[in-house]
Amino acid sequence: MKSRLGSVLLSLLMSTSVMAGEYDLTVDRVEIDTGDFVKEGIGYNGASPGPVMRFKEGETVKINVTNNLDEMTSIHWHGLILPFNQDGVPGISFPGIKPGETFTYEFPIQQAGTYWFHSHSGFQEPDGAYGAIVIEPEGREPFRYDREFVVQLTDKHPHSGDRIMRNLKMMPDYYNREQQTVGEFFSDVSKNGLMNTVRDRMAWGDMRMMKADVEDLQGFTGLINGKGPDQNWTGLFEPGERIRLRFINSSAMTYFDIRIPGLDMTVVQADGNNVQPVSVDEFRIGVAETYDVIVRPKDEQAYTIFAESMGRSGYARATLAPEEGMEAAVPQLREAARLTMADMGGMPGMDHGSMAGMDHGNMDMDSSEDMSGLEHSSMEGMDHSNMDGMDHSNMEAMDHSDMSGMDHGAMTMGKEDKSDPFYAKGSGLMPKAANGGKFLSYADLKAQDPLYEDREPTREIELRLTGNMERYTWSINGVKYEDADPIRLKYGERVRFKFVNETMMTHPMHLHGMWSILDVGADQWNPIKHTVSVQPGTTVYMETEVDAPGQWAFHCHLSYHAAAGMFRKVIVEGGPESTQAKADVIGEDGGEA
Amino acid sequence: MTISKFLVAAAAISLSATAFAAGTHGGGHGHGAASGEPGKASEVSRTITVEMYDNYYEPESITVSPGETVRFMVENKGNLVHEFNIGTPEMHEGHQEEMMMMVEHGVIQGGKLNHDMMEMDMGNGQSMKHDDPNSVLLEPGQSQEVIWKFSDNSNIEFACNVPGHYQAGMYGDVKVQ
Repeated sequence: MKSRLGSVLLSLLMSTSVMAGEYDLTVDRVEIDTGDFVKEGIGYNGASPGPVMRFKEGETVKINVTNNLDEMTSIHWHGLILPFNQDGVPGISFPGIKPGETFTYEFPIQQAGTYWFHSHSGFQEPDGAYGAIVIEPEGREPFRYDREFVVQLTDKHPHSGDRIMRNLKMMPDYYNREQQTVGEFFSDVSKNGLMNTVRDRMAWGDMRMMKADVEDLQGFTGLINGKGPDQNWTGLFEPGERIRLRFINSSAMTYFDIRIPGLDMTVVQADGNNVQPVSVDEFRIGVAETYDVIVRPKDEQAYTIFAESMGRSGYARATLAPEEGMEAAVPQLREAARLTMADMGGMPGMDHGSMAGMDHGNMDMDSSEDMSGLEHSSMEGMDHSNMDGMDHSNMEAMDHSDMSGMDHGAMTMGKEDKSDPFYAKGSGLMPKAANGGKFLSYADLKAQDPLYEDREPTREIELRLTGNMERYTWSINGVKYEDADPIRLKYGERVRFKFVNETMMTHPMHLHGMWSILDVGADQWNPIKHTVSVQPGTTVYMETEVDAPGQWAFHCHLSYHAAAGMFRKVIVEGGPESTQAKADVIGEDGGEA
Repeated sequence: MTISKFLVAAAAISLSATAFAAGTHGGGHGHGAASGEPGKASEVSRTITVEMYDNYYEPESITVSPGETVRFMVENKGNLVHEFNIGTPEMHEGHQEEMMMMVEHGVIQGGKLNHDMMEMDMGNGQSMKHDDPNSVLLEPGQSQEVIWKFSDNSNIEFACNVPGHYQAGMYGDVKVQ
């Protein structure tokens, strides 16, 4: 009860929150000041980020959205389960909102948790058109806290989205500052030998990829709740309180590794759905994901919320403090992550068998023919069945039979070596906690109260995540959105999606309208999410109970990948007649991603 | 809420005892001096029903008199394994490491307890049996009683030390007055 009272008091104190059943949002040109630079952008109700929309589970909300721009706009309620014509994707759910027009969304709130909203038109979202959604549950939360804060991250770039897309199309490495240098070539030669180094470079050249492609958009300033690192957004607390932090990654392109030195974080929710609590030292938040954590600072001191980008090219920073103005040390960025040959494991034409267990540091490859003979013409029809590191059957059932006489001191230390099964073995992206402690893995996410009964899927759909970095084209099964047929699902079926990442980049795949049941090997406890990250060189499975008629967007949530074609329309056929898709009613004039 | 020097010392001793026993479950318990002691059925003054849900208790606060012996009827009404454990926050913290080990060894698996595993000899005559008088560890649907005689220590909580549960707020306050 204490927690409820706390959150009610807090919402009353927050000027941005709204409590009524009817809400107004205006879409405006705004000024965005990151501390590093000032730029014009797009926001809601005069600011970017927009307000925190506070809803209550069970209410029906009416949201009047007025477009004050001189271009079309739209709002997508990311992660909310609603009728498809309220989902806000121009060309799929509705035609979009014209300049000067007010569009009224109306839908029932059937869930609780932390979500967000953003424009689904052009590059308005990277330009600043996003905000947070907090939904209070009907019953009590399965955890307790005295205070809560939304912690919404973004990667604010001085260039506009349109300009970034143009530059990437013209020169895909335009924003990639981490490219390897001639100097590095010679230091690799002295470490690994000339032939190995040349082979490595040639292999990467053949891949149409650059080894440092962890982030294809660098040069941003990380913001938390609209504040740059020097502007230092600060949340106040009293020592001993439990604080719920609602992390939302609203970045266009950037994954963040988040830690609060000095505090354990207990993850209680992922993508708005409660998970069995797990205490971690650090976690990685994919683009469009949300994680809710509970922290309990006991001391009268400030703590830094430090969010390093996955490729270490930038960071966001905020502070939790007992008093305004207090701050703690800001850690240094760790060394830039470098992709390894393991991250190419999903590239077509490669022999996966010989990849596993390879020592990527030394690039000691005995089968050089495999590499030089790598041809893109052989892309089709490869066998991913022996893909390493993703064998779910081995994930949970540890062999406990050899426990007796075990040294438990060593046991505890041993757990730090556990590699994350959601990364290719030897991946340069494998996360490690800065303090050597626990780093959250997808494998740790277990549903607190599973929404669906576990059942066998009715069929499997394979989606290869594909792209050509040299032309900055991104696609699914080698076909971009504009050339692709929609994915047709039948109401009532349970589809198993198999994502095979054949690119060198991580893709946060977001299916609108229906939950993504992520296969972490926990059967009925598999968590439900709205965004599922697929790391390079890996295969990830998710299942979907097809329970929402209509037509929906399904895409990589990296803004420039979605726009380049890693996007599909999903049509759900059948179901309650009144809600069936009336595709002909929906114009195509609103733009896509 | 001041903690007396005696209590701090007791907590320190119990923590080091935990460390010394290399985290075995049997060895880390019985910190009676701080939180009270196992009660006798004949001295029970009243029965309090405590329901365990995912992941919270009902009620979340109880009041006892110093020296009172209470029978707790503990019922697990959730879908996950939960613990009811009477102790100081420091004792709970020490116990959480043991419980973490139980999860890592597959003793606690979401909604199930692996009883064979709990009985197993860890090689030093210890086991991960969860049989201390100040606590019960229950699967969904199970119920069990705990009879506890409280001391005058007011820094007592009942708590679930299944990893993450205490941190998420699965604890209740014991007010001694």
